[in-house]
Order: sequence, then C-alpha cells, then structure tokens
Amino acid sequence: MGERAHIADAPVSHPGAARRWMPTLAAGLTLREYARSLVRRLAALTAVLLTAIWALDGQGYFWPAWAWLGLIVPVLLDFTARWAWRHPRGAVRRVACVWALVSVAAVILLMTWLLTWLLAGVHEFWPGWALLGLATAGSAYSLIALHDRVLVARGRRALRARIDLLTRTRRQAVDAQAAELRRIERDLHDGAQARLVALTLQLGRAELRAGEESEVRRLIGDAQREAHLAIAELRDLARGIVPPLLADRGLLAAVESLAARYGLGTTVQAETHRSLAPAVESAAYFVIAEALTNTAKHAGAQRSWVHLGDEHRSLLVIVGDDGRGGADPAGSGLAGLRARVEALDGTLSVVSPQAQGTVVEVSIPCGW
Amino acid sequence: MRVVIAEDLALLREGVVALLRENGIEVVAQVEDGPGLLRAIAGHQPDLAIVDVRLPPTFSDEGLRAAIEARRRQPALGVLVLSQYVETAYASELIGENTAGIGYLLKERIGDVRAFLDALARVADGGTVLDRQVVTQLLVSRDSSMDALTSLTARERDVLELMAEGRSNTAIAESLVVTPGAVEKHITNIFSKLDLPACDDDHRRVLAVLAYLRVAG
Repeated sequence: MGERAHIADAPVSHPGAARRWMPTLAAGLTLREYARSLVRRLAALTAVLLTAIWALDGQGYFWPAWAWLGLIVPVLLDFTARWAWRHPRGAVRRVACVWALVSVAAVILLMTWLLTWLLAGVHEFWPGWALLGLATAGSAYSLIALHDRVLVARGRRALRARIDLLTRTRRQAVDAQAAELRRIERDLHDGAQARLVALTLQLGRAELRAGEESEVRRLIGDAQREAHLAIAELRDLARGIVPPLLADRGLLAAVESLAARYGLGTTVQAETHRSLAPAVESAAYFVIAEALTNTAKHAGAQRSWVHLGDEHRSLLVIVGDDGRGGADPAGSGLAGLRARVEALDGTLSVVSPQAQGTVVEVSIPCGW
Repeated sequence: MRVVIAEDLALLREGVVALLRENGIEVVAQVEDGPGLLRAIAGHQPDLAIVDVRLPPTFSDEGLRAAIEARRRQPALGVLVLSQYVETAYASELIGENTAGIGYLLKERIGDVRAFLDALARVADGGTVLDRQVVTQLLVSRDSSMDALTSLTARERDVLELMAEGRSNTAIAESLVVTPGAVEKHITNIFSKLDLPACDDDHRRVLAVLAYLRVAG
C-alpha cells in the first residue's frame, strides 16, 4: 500500500519530471496519476496567479486566502481518499472513508475560523461544537461498524488461550501418566516381585528342612512353581509398561539393545543429546520396537537403520530398511503408536513403496 | 566362603543372609547401596559379592556399576549379580574381558535353594554362571537369522540354557529328569550343530557357548 503511494508521488520528485514543470503522459504515468498531478499543479498555479493579481491590484483586503481555501479542498480530498483506500475492503475501509471526510470537514472549519480571525477579527472559537459533532458522528459510526470485528477478535483471543491451556494441560497429563507408569514399573519390580522372591526363598529353606517327607516337599514345590509363574507374569507386565533398560539408561541404550536383539545388523546413529521426558522416550522406543519387529517379520531386508536426531525443538526418529516395502501404514501395528505420538503433538509417517524399502519417520516436540 | 551382600530390600536381604548362614557361609557385611558395597569389599576382602542391580539412590543400574568397579579394583573377587529382569547388555558388560568368577542370575533363582548355593560356589571358584534367560533372549533374537540355532531341538535348548548356568552333566540330568547319558548325547549334538570344539570342563563349556552367541551377535 505504502509502495503504491510512493509510485504515485514519484514523478513530482523525479529529476526528469521536475525539469519540465508540466507533466506529460510520455513520462510513463497512468492517466489517473497524470490527472492528479495536473490538478495539483493547476491549483498551485491558480493560487499564485490570484495572489499576484491581489498584489498588483493595490493589495488591501487579502481576499486570495479564500481562494486558497477553495483550492486546497480537492487536494485534501484526493489525499485522504487515497489514505482511506489503502485499508482492506469492507467495514474497515468504510470507517476510514468516514474519518477521511470528517478530517477534511474539520480542516475546512479550522481554516475558515483562522481566516475569519486573521482577516475579520472574529475572536470567538465558533467551530468548537461543529468539530465535537463531527468527532462524535465519526466515533459512533466506527463503533457500530467495527463492533462485530471487536467481538470476533476477542473470541479468537479466548480461543487461542483455550488451545494453549488444553495443549499445556494435555502434555502435563501425558507426562504425569508416563512418570506414574515408571513408578508402577519400579514398584512392581521392587515391591510385589521382590516380596514374591522372598517368599520363594522361604519356601526353598522350608524345602531344605522338610528332609525326605515327600508329601511336604511336593506341596512346597507346587507353591514355588505358582510363585515363579506370578513373578514371570509381573516381569512381563512391567516390561510391557517400560522396558527396564529404557528406565535405567535412557533411549539410546535401550534402542541399541533392541537393535542387537533383532540380529538384523541394524545400525543405530544418534545425534541428539537432549534429556527427554519419559513420555517422549517411551513413545519413541515403542515406535522403534514396532518398526524393527515389522522389518524382521516382513521386510526381508539386507540393511536396517535407526536414526535419532534433533529437528528444531523436536526429537526426530527415523527407522528404515531396504526390504520389499509395501507396508500398510494403517495396518502395520503402527496405528496405535500413531495415536500415542499424536497425543504428544508429534507426527508419524510411513513411506513404503513396493520393492523400495520402508521408512518410518516420527517427530515429537520436546521443547516445552 | 566369606560373602558381602548388597540388597536394599530388607526382607530379601535377611532371607538370603539366613539361608547362607544355615549352610555354613559367612556373611561378613550387608549393605544397601553401591558406595557401601565398595567400602565393604575394601574393608572385609570377601571371596564373593552378591549384588542387586537396582540400588539406591537412583534405582537404575547402580549395583551393576558398583559390581564392575569392584571387579576392576579386585579382579580375583567373585561377583554374583541378581536382577528382577535379564538384559543381555548388562550380562556382556559384566563379563567384559575377565570371565572368571562372574554370575548373572534372575533373583527368583534364589528360590531353588540348592541350585543357588551351587551357583554361589561356582562363582566363588572362578566359574561363570549365566541365567538361562540370557541364553533364551540371545536365542530368541537370533531366530530369524541363525539357521544353526533354529536347528536345535527344544530339549537341546533346555540343555544349552542349563549349560550356561555352568551346571555339571549330573546337575543338568537331575534338573531335566533324564539320565546323564542322555544329557551327554544332547551336548554332543549341540556342539556339533553349533560347530563348537567339544570339551568336558563345565566352565569352559559356558565360555564356548557364550563366545558363540557373542560372535553371532
């Protein structure tokens, strides 16, 4: 908008145009710009001529001032109209037009008062009420016209605040849940499971003392087997919540162990050193585990790789292979993990063209 | 045999101490954390340390790190690490370069009191004892790629797992309720299928199996 104004004024300050006092169409102006320039110059010329006539006519009452006032009105109108037109279409432009008219009227009133004061000696400030009326009318119109927009803006602000709040509290909830799961995992290992181990130990000691009493030994043996089953179930449960290596040593160690376990010769490359929230760590780990499982089961790959890196304020995880591709992004067991990643405002994509390998890419924001 | 125990759960610690004392093993110190373990080992010069992987204050792998550090300071010390879960990564870190006098068992193996006491004795004597789950995990993970391992029968796998615990043929036979002759046959089959040099020594057998699994990794 400002640029257009600059172009319109350019011929006046342009050295080439300044040399010729009257503008020509050949100077590359549009018809409208040419007309505007012409009107301005004619007005200035007329003002100078009338003042000269007054000077030659023996001076006296300085009547050309009224002519000046008349000549300045079209220039002012042109100027304010252009200002008003810079505003976006609709209510805002209408309001700008109203204020353009109000300001032109105010300038005319003030100049008329100035002339009556200077030329006719009227000391009273008579345009006061008129100016107040103009300002009131302009304000009233603005208020009515922009009322909706104010409401919408306020609604938008409220909505944004609500989204911020929901995003923040959801993340807090997910983080709290992850921390709680880790606590449960620890409690399972160090609480229930350890107590069951202590129980099998007592049973073992009892068995040693039972001597050759075969019935007692058999009962103790049964009890021990039950306890062992319970311990194994608890261990599987805890491992499903958080694999111990992930809880103990973090994502990289857990992923390296995972990669070694699949025996696919998977290379693990890590270019991230940030400390990750438990929720982010777990989500990334389970995605990698699922992707590697799929590679081992279906891909028939020669090469497989895991890359961990930083991307802006997110953790970037890429798991790829050079296998037969064609994995169904919705059906490869990744659908459930996608929900987990999305709960962290992350994204998960699977690219798997036929015979061209599979790449699973996950990005999870962690700069909170 | 003089033993130091590092275990933070009092119930379990006291149970193990009672078991050891009943069987004539001297418990010279009981500690609850990693630094305590290192102090106790320096002070008491025990033959064996029994260490829980997760210890205060971090409850992550404090015990394992303390055990490795203790072995670095006193290479002759036997270390038996107990854990609620098996991580092959922990097993290989623990074994490192010096395989003599190392044990890594699931905590619940304590319940099989005789086998547990046997394992203690083997580790104190400089043997290697690995939980059968370590072998299971290594086997499961190599299923897709290793034909030799998939060719093992279920019973041969059982034998392989018990061999990793450093047990003698007689102990394996007892545990699987078969004759020692049958166990010998299984072992011969395993060694020929995995293309390993046959040997009768229990400890060297564990190392051969372990080396095979590590090379395969």
